Amino acid sequence: MSDAHAHATPTPSGFVPHHVAHHFKTWEQEFQSGKLGFWLFLATEVLLFGGLFAGYIYYHGMYEETFRVCGRMLDWQLGALNTSVLLLSSWTMAMGVRAAQLSQRKACFGWLMTTVLCGAGFMVVKYIEYSAKIEHGTLPTAWFHPHGEHAAELNKLIAEGGHPAMFFSFYFTMTGIHGLHVLIGMIVITYYATGVAKGKYHSGHYLPIDLVGLYWHIVDIIWIFLFPLLYLVP
Amino acid sequence: MTAHAPSHAGHGHEYGMHVAHVSSAGTLIRILVTLLILTIVTVAISRVDFGGANMLVAMVIALVKMSLVMTFFMHLKYDTAVNILFILGSFVFLSLLFLFTLADSTTRADTDPTLVQPAKVKPGVYPSSLGHH
Repeated sequence: MSDAHAHATPTPSGFVPHHVAHHFKTWEQEFQSGKLGFWLFLATEVLLFGGLFAGYIYYHGMYEETFRVCGRMLDWQLGALNTSVLLLSSWTMAMGVRAAQLSQRKACFGWLMTTVLCGAGFMVVKYIEYSAKIEHGTLPTAWFHPHGEHAAELNKLIAEGGHPAMFFSFYFTMTGIHGLHVLIGMIVITYYATGVAKGKYHSGHYLPIDLVGLYWHIVDIIWIFLFPLLYLVP
Repeated sequence: MTAHAPSHAGHGHEYGMHVAHVSSAGTLIRILVTLLILTIVTVAISRVDFGGANMLVAMVIALVKMSLVMTFFMHLKYDTAVNILFILGSFVFLSLLFLFTLADSTTRADTDPTLVQPAKVKPGVYPSSLGHH
């Protein structure tokens, strides 16, 4: 709504003007409210994954040998590749936010779509990894029926009092919820990239790009911890 | 910055301009390279035996990577004090959860010797009370 009292933020020529919402006094207030709300949401994300990490700590202490043996059954090279892809995508996202702040429409669109492509690459690698685990029956809890590769080693582990189904429950739950976050991130970034193409985001209104960037970075941070804990179990 | 403020002269109220912090492209690429090098370090140290300290070493490297992402990619260095307080606060509460979890799992056997020790199940002494195969 734009009326006589609505403040339009400084809009570079050729871009869509942004009007500060009527319940905010100033642009700065609107911007900082959005940021504070989003950091609160990120705090809840930290606590969501934190609960899973607490569970991991408990059972890692309980079944140290199981976790070490099962961690070696994951492909650390694919894990390292995915870590690099996500770090790269965090950089392209940061460059996208920078381009939005500088009103570089084409560059911003390019950086955001590169970020989405990296996310897609991550999901493809994850699909390859999941397929192998499903094929070998190393699934969580009641679905854990190892056969083929690793079956002998896993059955020996169980006979000795190990609990590999526990490790794979953590593996699928943690990487599954993380993967869901990557998928959601890809959808949301694509949505905002179309807005960038329409000229909606610029030096006078880059908050949504900034916020989706923060989300993408926290998803990257979670993977920074998942990689050593699952693929290179210490 | 190529922002051009439209004329608001005459409205007579505070504008409340927001001033963005724009990271330099050089800084961002340096952070990416550092993060990728630290990923190689993550893999390398997993091959070294630190005699029980491997988890600690791995987590310290992950924490360094996290702080680089938060400080520079997430602009936390240039953010407001309240935003920094909120996100660091979530880590304070998370560390409480970790602390009490570890306080339980590492000391349970000390307080009640009749309890099955959940702290460490050694191969061959799998406790039947926890049986769930």
